[in-house]
Amino acid sequence: MTRDGGIRRPVLAPHTRYRWDKVRKEHQLVFPEEMMLLNEPSAAIVKLCDGRSLEEIVAALKEMFPGAEPEDDVREFLGQLAERGLVNDAAAD
Amino acid sequence: MMPPPTELPRPRALLAEITYRCPLQCPYCSNPLELARYKSELDTATWVRVFEQAAELGVAQLHLSGGEPLVRRDILDLCRVARDCGLYSNLSTGATVADAKMIERLREAGLDHLQVSLLDTEPESNDRLAGAPSYDRKRDAVLTAKRIGFPVTLNVVLHRHNLERIGEVIDTAFAWGVDRLELANTQYTGWAFRNRAALMPTRAQVERARRVVDEKLAASTGRLDVVHVLPDYFEEFPKACLHGWGMVFMAVAPDGAALPCQTAREIPGLEFPNVRDSSLEEIWFRSDVFQRFRGTDWLPEPCRSCDRREIDFGGCRCQAYLMTGDATATDPVCHLSPQHHLIAEALAEAEKPAPPLAFRVMRT
Repeated sequence: MTRDGGIRRPVLAPHTRYRWDKVRKEHQLVFPEEMMLLNEPSAAIVKLCDGRSLEEIVAALKEMFPGAEPEDDVREFLGQLAERGLVNDAAAD
Repeated sequence: MMPPPTELPRPRALLAEITYRCPLQCPYCSNPLELARYKSELDTATWVRVFEQAAELGVAQLHLSGGEPLVRRDILDLCRVARDCGLYSNLSTGATVADAKMIERLREAGLDHLQVSLLDTEPESNDRLAGAPSYDRKRDAVLTAKRIGFPVTLNVVLHRHNLERIGEVIDTAFAWGVDRLELANTQYTGWAFRNRAALMPTRAQVERARRVVDEKLAASTGRLDVVHVLPDYFEEFPKACLHGWGMVFMAVAPDGAALPCQTAREIPGLEFPNVRDSSLEEIWFRSDVFQRFRGTDWLPEPCRSCDRREIDFGGCRCQAYLMTGDATATDPVCHLSPQHHLIAEALAEAEKPAPPLAFRVMRT
């Protein structure tokens, strides 16, 4: 198994929601009893988890952050989210 | 009004206990023993105002709870308002008054997540503990919710009468297809403190349960998020109750009292502001009761000079009061507490046969 758990089409788990907190000006990934605070690149990744392929997510990030080589970071971050059950693989269902 | 102090944290979660009414009689309910004193419930318009103020204050998560929140006729309206305010909403239900249509409507109204309580995996035991036939309805509610793609947490409160079946609890969670399972050992406040001797498990039960959970989860391949809350009486250090008093959490009781913790009413001498009279912002930043145990300045020894003071903030205030009679004492769960012997005595009591349970009732 790869570090990203082999996810091909990441989607946020049904109990997980991305949320912009306008009071604190912060990106949040909210799920029951907890939340994860996201930095700008992580928030960008999470918002792209809509069922498109991992390759498409990487391509979109390259457009948003010119000069970045985000693939390894994307795989690692999505692997962490999948490990916690916050992201599922639409290709596996 | 003065602007809020910028150095203070803002709440992230609001527990809205929209009613204390409930068809069940769980003997470990966290509602007050004197339920009948708080019969006057906030109306819809006031709850709407509270949710709007909560969102403005920085609350991200709204827990709709009770009692049984589904007995409120305005529950769907309240869910819609939560969604419109941008709050992540969870509803905790006993599920006995939730038919399939109601569950579908909750989803349509924008509820994000459903939490269903189960008292035991043996139907007879579940129904006996709940004081009403309810196992079948709980199962049907979970299956209906999962059929329409509703995220569901199954919550099982653990104690000496069901801990032997913790393995079956995990099997049930997988069989019903829930997303999350909360294995929550009883917290001994409210009705649970009243019933402590009848509910407290033995050390052997607790250790076996821990082993069974580890083995079951290591052997499983399915997708299930398990939260296992160990009983704090068996721990070395107290829990960081709500991440500290007045730090991230506030509760509003059915009558509008704003509480730093849903069981804070057990501590005598505290005055709780009411959302009918004050805004959540005033209450959070300015009221005496939210400042009372906030941060570390109020801490007694041995907490004040302890390395863990920013980790557990002296533990649970309600537990400190219930066990020692002093709400400013170190939580006796801590092995450094001068009154830690009270925990040892309670655990010794648990090795004896259990007395009968007192069921939650609203005396009028």
